[in-house]
Amino acid sequence: MAAHQQPAMDEGMHHANYHYGHAHLLARYCDLPDPLHPPRLQGYLQHGWNMGDGLAPGTPFVDGSKIFVWSEETRRRSWSQGRRDVIVVGAPFAYLLEMEPEPADAPEPEGTIFYPFHGWEGQQISGDHQKLIDEVKKVETGPVTACLYWNEYRMKSVRKIYENAGFRVICHGYRGFWWRDHNREFLVGQLKELRRHRRVVSNRLCSAVWYGALAGREAAVYGDPMVLDNADPTFGGEPRLRRQWPELYGHQTDNAVTHALARQQLGADELAHPDELRAILGWPASTERVK
Amino acid sequence: MSERSAALLPNEGTDFAAALSAPPVNNLRRIGGEMFAWSDRDPQRSQPLPRGAVLRHLLRQYAGPGRTVLVAGPHSEEVVAALADTGASVSWLLRSLIDAEEAARGNSRITVLAGAAVKLDAAEKFDLVVAADGVDRLNSAEGEQMSAAQLVDRLAEAVQPDGVLLLMHDNRLGVHHTVRLEPGARERLDSDWYNTDDETDTQRPASQEQLTARLAQSGLTVAAAYAAFPEPAAPTVLVGEGLLGEVASPLRPRLGTALSQAFAGAFRGRPVLSDPRRLVNRALRAGAEGTVAPAWLVIARGPGAAPAVEGHELLIGDARGTFAYEVTSAGDQVRTTVLEPLEGPIEREGLRRISEPTAPGADVGYVLEERLEHLAATSDLRRMRVELAQYDAWLRSQAQDGLLTGPVAVAGLADVFVTEDGPALLPTNWEPVESVALETAEIRAVWSFAVQLITSGQPHPWPITSNAVDLTATILGMVGQGIAADSVRAAVELHVRLETAEYGLSLSDQHDRRLQLLAVSPGSASVDVAGFRELTEALWRQRYEASHLLAMMDWTEQIIKSRDLQVSKMDWEVQFYKKTWAGRFLWISRSAYRVIMRDGRKFMRGRRARKAEAQSNAVR
Repeated sequence: MAAHQQPAMDEGMHHANYHYGHAHLLARYCDLPDPLHPPRLQGYLQHGWNMGDGLAPGTPFVDGSKIFVWSEETRRRSWSQGRRDVIVVGAPFAYLLEMEPEPADAPEPEGTIFYPFHGWEGQQISGDHQKLIDEVKKVETGPVTACLYWNEYRMKSVRKIYENAGFRVICHGYRGFWWRDHNREFLVGQLKELRRHRRVVSNRLCSAVWYGALAGREAAVYGDPMVLDNADPTFGGEPRLRRQWPELYGHQTDNAVTHALARQQLGADELAHPDELRAILGWPASTERVK
Repeated sequence: MSERSAALLPNEGTDFAAALSAPPVNNLRRIGGEMFAWSDRDPQRSQPLPRGAVLRHLLRQYAGPGRTVLVAGPHSEEVVAALADTGASVSWLLRSLIDAEEAARGNSRITVLAGAAVKLDAAEKFDLVVAADGVDRLNSAEGEQMSAAQLVDRLAEAVQPDGVLLLMHDNRLGVHHTVRLEPGARERLDSDWYNTDDETDTQRPASQEQLTARLAQSGLTVAAAYAAFPEPAAPTVLVGEGLLGEVASPLRPRLGTALSQAFAGAFRGRPVLSDPRRLVNRALRAGAEGTVAPAWLVIARGPGAAPAVEGHELLIGDARGTFAYEVTSAGDQVRTTVLEPLEGPIEREGLRRISEPTAPGADVGYVLEERLEHLAATSDLRRMRVELAQYDAWLRSQAQDGLLTGPVAVAGLADVFVTEDGPALLPTNWEPVESVALETAEIRAVWSFAVQLITSGQPHPWPITSNAVDLTATILGMVGQGIAADSVRAAVELHVRLETAEYGLSLSDQHDRRLQLLAVSPGSASVDVAGFRELTEALWRQRYEASHLLAMMDWTEQIIKSRDLQVSKMDWEVQFYKKTWAGRFLWISRSAYRVIMRDGRKFMRGRRARKAEAQSNAVR
């Protein structure tokens, strides 16, 4: 997919706002009449947890655009990097949890969902998958589901490694590109999978781990973090993750602590009211009072 | 608004690859909360770093071999180096990892702690804690945030029982905030992810008393407190106990002059709401300089056997460099003592930096410039002539063969202190290497005063439309000295040299400055501190002048119309006389009549004279 290797993004792009069905999910939260086709967001929505300014590295950015970030800490950092008009809205996943609280009669979660650290369309990772699998098998006691990023899931050889290990191999789908092929239910499916499991683990601290912690799952990061091609060291790289959030590292972690941290990082305590969110995102105001 | 993406684009800003490949430093400890892709040393991203000779002088009093020092937050290298030079064991807390690594590499004698103040080891205590940058840059963008009050507490907790805390605390009521005219300031700096001017924080100590009380809660006693001017980051004048708020102090006139010079230097060319010198001057009259001081510098001692803290009434020092001196009063005498000498002789533009400031010993008197301003405002021309005559005589008495040497040659009227024994010179910064013509020196002093009267919108008894040269001519005329255009030009040249020595003007700046100063008219705004009030005042004067010019133009227009009519009528008459026979006849008749009348009268006068002469001869 040539377009994916070097995104031909024009200056006015906001297509990342639709990744993972983020815009759709917020439209649903805001009770927009047609949440499957949300109107344009008047700004850039942070589309993944990061330790930079909230935008993906190299994102072409139009000066003067608003930036919607997940947490106050990201807002501060973003300001320090020269960004202005940075508004904390919270992570779309946190909104999903608000809309879909865990049912009281939900089946008992079981096993572990494992997210091997993934690259993306522009950067591939290199590392020893087998070594990682061995460590996961050694640590995790229940059944393990390996959730691969879409491009790794498509690579039969990689998938096979995890299948041979006896893992159930899944993929949450394609996050979409250039307003096309979005899995609008990406986060819904992810939440469903997270809730099936007792633990969420990864070899690198990433959005999925925070999501799991926010959803009340045991969250742990361990194993070879693998190396990302052309990794950008601007914000400290992988070693910083380990230093700054050591609470999530190790085979066992403290649930209360990781949950509290997830609430901070995903802005779960700073979610906007639907009407407020409409106003912030530049969506039409509701004529009826939303519950 | 800056929306730079320096950190995001590899070809701009810091070379991270180089930074990462640099060898690790073993005097750096990362304590947590350190910021990546960030530097407080970049003036485009963060506030200036604290520096200055008085700061360095004070700090060194409490550091020394065997003593541990914590420097909290970004400071200029010179401050930290001064501490390390004492032989103390210095730890330096920096939130920026880039700054921390650079500091560690550049100063092998110190330990650098990279991170936020909240991550400081609570068990670690220091003999001296230095926070000349205040508390605003002790939080990082990462992790837990502490309020200003908590940070003050945290610094106090880091002091040994027998230790000392030196803290510079920004005053939100400070004159530097009051006069600020900086549209978009809130958005300008990348360091202001929280507004550092937040005046709604009810816990933050808002006065010197509140700061003292806050420190007392942590067991520290403020042993010396100073009002710091003109800016928190570069204090050049510190006013301490004995002078602070004491309107009767004999040091008051020196303080006024020192503050005026300090603000002129710090705010030169900076747009402000109003010239801070006027506000400070009013505060000085009210003894309220502590209330409007840009910052308070407090030196607090722990409850144990902390070193003695020496107080100073007035400390004055360079913003850049080492030079600092103290002015004290003892009984009715005033003494100036150099605390830190110049690093070496400085000569610029034919001027030499003065290394031993001297001050008149008498404590009773007044600054000549202030007195003249007052007399100008009250239109007291008689006393003004007396003052100027005294000044003129004093200046002439210092000259030899019409030439002046030493500081007096470049002293302004603000540098002259008039005592019972006559005028004397206050401490100044520069003296000419070669002598200066008396006339040039005097014209410069008076012209400079005239410029100030005009550009600061001060009331004076002369026409509002007078320009600086007009006023100079009038004022010097009071002492019987006329001025020529060339002599004003020479005086302005001397003034530009003085400014170049003081502020390091480039050749192009000097050229522009010369033109600006030579053209000071009623419509000129301030020539040093660009105050909005002074600008609107100049605009008002321009309009005032323009409205009168318009009225005069109307009047002239009417007069010309009227004259045109008269001329036209006369022209018609002339043409009538010249062109028609009747006219010619009348013209000839009138001319003949005039000739007859003229010659007839002449004849009669001659006849009467001759008759009278004959009669007088007959009487003899």
